[in-house]
Amino acid sequence: MTSLERIGGFTLHSAADAGALTLQLWRALLSLPRILPVVGNRRRWRAAVGQMLAIGAQALPMAGLMSFCLGYVLALQSAAELRRFDALRFVIDLVAVSFTRELGALITAIAVSGRSASAISAEVGTMMVTEEIDALRVMGLDPVEFTLAPKYLGALITVPCLTVLSTFCGVFAGYVFLAFSVDMNLRVYFHEVVESILLRDVWLTLIKSVIFATIIVQVGYLEGLRARGGPEAVGAAATAAVVKATFLVILADLAATTVFYVMGWSAVG
Amino acid sequence: MTPAATSTGDPVISIRGLSVSYEHRRVLHQVDLDMYRGEIFVLLGGSGSGKTTLLKQVLGLARPDAGSILVNGIDITSCSADELATVRRRIGMAFQASALFNSLTVEENVALPLQELTALADPVIALMVWLKLKAVGLARAGGLLPHQLSGGMKKRAAIARAMALDPDILVFDEPSAGLDPIVSAGIDELILFLKRAFGMTVLVVTHAMESAERIADRLAMLHEGGLIAVGDREHFFGNDHPRLRQFLDRQPEPVSGDTAEGFAASFLHWIDHEH
Repeated sequence: MTSLERIGGFTLHSAADAGALTLQLWRALLSLPRILPVVGNRRRWRAAVGQMLAIGAQALPMAGLMSFCLGYVLALQSAAELRRFDALRFVIDLVAVSFTRELGALITAIAVSGRSASAISAEVGTMMVTEEIDALRVMGLDPVEFTLAPKYLGALITVPCLTVLSTFCGVFAGYVFLAFSVDMNLRVYFHEVVESILLRDVWLTLIKSVIFATIIVQVGYLEGLRARGGPEAVGAAATAAVVKATFLVILADLAATTVFYVMGWSAVG
Repeated sequence: MTPAATSTGDPVISIRGLSVSYEHRRVLHQVDLDMYRGEIFVLLGGSGSGKTTLLKQVLGLARPDAGSILVNGIDITSCSADELATVRRRIGMAFQASALFNSLTVEENVALPLQELTALADPVIALMVWLKLKAVGLARAGGLLPHQLSGGMKKRAAIARAMALDPDILVFDEPSAGLDPIVSAGIDELILFLKRAFGMTVLVVTHAMESAERIADRLAMLHEGGLIAVGDREHFFGNDHPRLRQFLDRQPEPVSGDTAEGFAASFLHWIDHEH
C-alpha cells in the first residue's frame, strides 16, 4: 500500500467516524427530553441518576487528586523561577489562572475519559456481543434512548460540576504549597485568587467541559457499538475508546481555546 | 424455488426475491419463502449458509439489497420506522445467547417490554410476568440474575421474555446450541407446547437435526445463500438434493489437500520419499 493510499484510507476512515459520531449525537440530543425528570420517562431519569454517580461522583476522588498533584507541582516549579525575581506572590495568579482557564477542565476530562469512555464502550460492547442491543431493537425499544441518552445526560450534568471541584482542588494545592513554604494565610490566598480570575473564564471552562463530556460519552458508545465477535473485541473497543476520546478531548481543547481567543473572549481583562 | 404450498391460508411471513451482500460478498441470493399461521417452520443450514442473515432480515435488523419481506401484510424492507416498531411488537425473539439484560433479574427482564411498551399497571405486569415464567417452568427463578441461571434456564427465560407481549410469531435462533440432549429435548417440548397452547407461528433457525425432526411442521435448507429444499416433513426428508442428503446423513466434506487429513497424508508421503 502506498503512502498516498494510506493517507486516503485514513481520511475516509476519519470522515466516516465524524459522520457516525455526528449522527449519533443528533439522535442522542433528540432523545434527551425523554430522559428528563417530570416530562420524561421516570425509569430513564433513574438510569441517568445512576450514571451521574458512576461518571461523576465516583470520579471525584481521582480527578480531585490528579488536580491537587498537578496544582502542587505547578506551584513548586513556578516558585523556583519566580523566587529569583522576588515575585513569589505571582504563583497564586499562575495556579489560579492555569486551572480556571485550562487545567481544571482538561485534567477532569482525562480522568473521566480514562474511567468512563472505557466503561461505556465495554458495557455497550458486551451488550453488542451478547446481542442485548439487537434484543432491544427487536422489542421495538430505541438503544440510543435506552442506553446512550441516560449516560449522556449524566455526563452533561456531572462533568461540569466535577470540573469546578477539580479546579478548586488544583487551586487549593497552590495554597498548601505556599502555606508550607512562606506561611501563606488562607484568606489572603483566596482573596488573591478571586482577584486574578474572571467570571468569563469560568463560563468558558464550563462550555469546554460540556464539549469534553459529549466527546467522552459519544466516542465511548460508538466504539462499543463496533464490537463484534467475542470478549477480545470488547477489550479492543475499550482501548480504542480511551485513546480516541483522550485525543479528541485535547484536539477539541485546542479548537475551543483558539475560537475563544480569536473571538476575543479569553483576552486578559 | 417456489415454496411448497402444503399449508393453507395467507402466509404470516412472505419473503420474495431477497438478496443480501456484505462488502461485495453475496450472502443471500433470490430467496423466496412463505411461513403460515400456526406452523413450526424450521430453517436449516450449515455454518455460513446465510441463516442468521435471513433471520436478521425477518426481524428488520438490516436492510436487503433487493426483495421484499411481508410480515402480517406489511413490507418491512420499505415501511416507516413506526410501522416497523408495530410489526416488531408482534414478533418475539429468543436469541441464541439468550441476550438477557445482565443487570436485571429474570422477572425484570420479562417485565421490561411490558413496562416500556404498554400502559399496564405494575400489579398487572407482575401477574403477567409470573404467568409467562410459569409457562416456561421458571416460576421460582424470577428473582435470580442471568449469571445465576443454567444454560437451559437462560433459554427458558429468554423465551418467557419473547412471549411477554403475546406475539403472533415466535423466532428462535439455535435453541439447542450449547445444551445437553436432555435440556435440549426439554426446549423442543416447550416449543411444541407453545404452538399447541397459544397457536403461535414459530420460526426456528438451527443446524440441530434431532431437534428439527422432532418439532418441524415444515422445513427449508439454506446453502450458500440460496434455498435448496423447502417443504413439509415428508417432502423435505425425501428430497434427494446431494447437499441436503450430505447434511441429513451427517457426511463430512470430501478430503482434499487443504484439510488437516490431506495435509497429514502429504506430510507422510514426503517423509516416505525424502527419508
